[in-house]
This record gives sequence, C-alpha cells and structure tokens, in this order.
Amino acid sequence: MTEKLTKIRFFIDYEKEEQWVNDMSQQGWHLVKLGFGYFIFEKGLPGEYIYRNEMLAGFRKKDNSKEYIEFLKDTGVELVTKYMTWVYFRKKTEEGPFELYTDFTSKIQYINRILYLFLLLFLVNFYFGITNVFNVFNHNSNVTYTIGIFNLLVSLIFVYPLFLLFKRRNDLKSKLTIFHD
Amino acid sequence: MSERPPLTEGVYYILLSLYEPRHGYGIIQLTEEMTKGRVKLGAGTIYGAIKTLLDRGLIQPVDDDGRKKEYVITSEGKQMVEHEISRLMELFENGIRITRGDKID
Repeated sequence: MTEKLTKIRFFIDYEKEEQWVNDMSQQGWHLVKLGFGYFIFEKGLPGEYIYRNEMLAGFRKKDNSKEYIEFLKDTGVELVTKYMTWVYFRKKTEEGPFELYTDFTSKIQYINRILYLFLLLFLVNFYFGITNVFNVFNHNSNVTYTIGIFNLLVSLIFVYPLFLLFKRRNDLKSKLTIFHD
Repeated sequence: MSERPPLTEGVYYILLSLYEPRHGYGIIQLTEEMTKGRVKLGAGTIYGAIKTLLDRGLIQPVDDDGRKKEYVITSEGKQMVEHEISRLMELFENGIRITRGDKID
C-alpha cells in the first residue's frame, strides 16, 4: 500500500495553491485527490512531477472540457484530479518544462475566464446581501437578514482574488504594449 | 497598420507545422525542433489557438478514424503565412540595413 497524507488547506490564490502542491511534490508527496479544502498526497520520488491547476469551464457556451482533457492527454499530460470546475494536471519532470499557457494572449484569456466567473459570483452575492440585509423586499424575518449576512460574507471572499486577477491581467496587458507575445 | 496585423509566434508556428497534417503533440514537437527549444508551446495555448484557427477557416481537421485529431492548413491559411513572411522580410531587411550602419535611402 502506498503511503498517503491528507492535508486540510484553503487557498484564496490558486497560483499559491499550485506552488504549494509543487513544493509538496518536491518533498516526495504527489497530489492524487482534491476536494473541498482537502488534498490527498501519495508518497513517491521527490520532484517526479510538475503540477498545474486549471479552472476548466467558465461560462463558455459549450463545455469542451472532455475534448480538452483528451487533447492534453495526447500531449503527454495526465489528469490527476477534478473538483467541481478545478483540475490538476501533471507531467513527469524529466519530460521538460510544463506550462499550459505560454503566451501573453492565452494567459490573459485564461485569467478572463476566472475573472468573469468570480465577478458574477461576487455581484450576485453582493446584490442579494444588500437587498436581504436592508430588507428591500419587505419580508420581515430574521432568516432573510441571516441569509443576507451570509451573502455579504461570500461576496467578501471574492474581493481579494478579484484584486489579484485584475492586477495580473494588467501586468500582462502592459507587456503586450511592448512585446507581441 | 495594415488590415492584417502580425501573427503571434505561436500561431505562426502552428500554421507552419500544419503544411503537413499533424495533431497537437506533433505541432509542439516540430515547433520546439524548429526553434531549437526556444519556443515551447503550452498545450492550453495550442488548444485555444487551434479552435480559433478552425473558426476562421485557416486550418481544417483531416478526415481520419484515428483517435488523435489531425489538422492541416487551408489555402487561406497559406495566404496568411505568405503575407507574414513578407512582413518579416521587411522587418529583417530594415533591421539589418540600419544596425549594420548602411545609409538609409
């Protein structure tokens, strides 16, 4: 039986999370499963894999995830684990550098995919938070108020990630004014 | 600016790679080989670019029962590459002429 390790972690920044998963891999703990706030690792050779995470479908009209995963498989990329719309891919380190997005244009497109989804989630929760807390619709109950507070808390969670995404997008865009890609 | 803006390096090499039918991995390998390892195209980048190039009719899928999808450049795609080559020639010649200290006509 392979040795296993479970870690409970919450990351607000998906890039930091990916970095941490790669650090774990450097120590010989390779991610095999991802869930809500938990990560399961298996013992293996230190630094055997490079991991990349990705948010698959934002709200693109068609969900191409299956086709995309097949495409990646053909290029030697292994799908490790999927939780909701988040996935982890990995590739053996000996096969050379592994990045999913390698030019500014595609990096910006990927950031937009996450950005728009987070922005929607933020706005929806913020809207219902405000309307529920201030009882705009005149349902006079504590339940509405509690739900409102909950909505506001959820919207608050998205503030910092949104700030990071806007910042990263701007950095990339400013590079595009000098460099082509 | 002309009506045809410059191609990205990735798109340029994808189109070049598809003068013969290839699948995604083939494109990555050939591009890496042609640029002696300088340009390593990410699979996510290629996937997105292939979708766009298909939509614009610059490449097309090759009919094949194989599991791996292969693509090939269309005549519109070839025109695009030709146009890009003349643009690059102009860039190259102007660059050489000025940096090597020749007089500008």
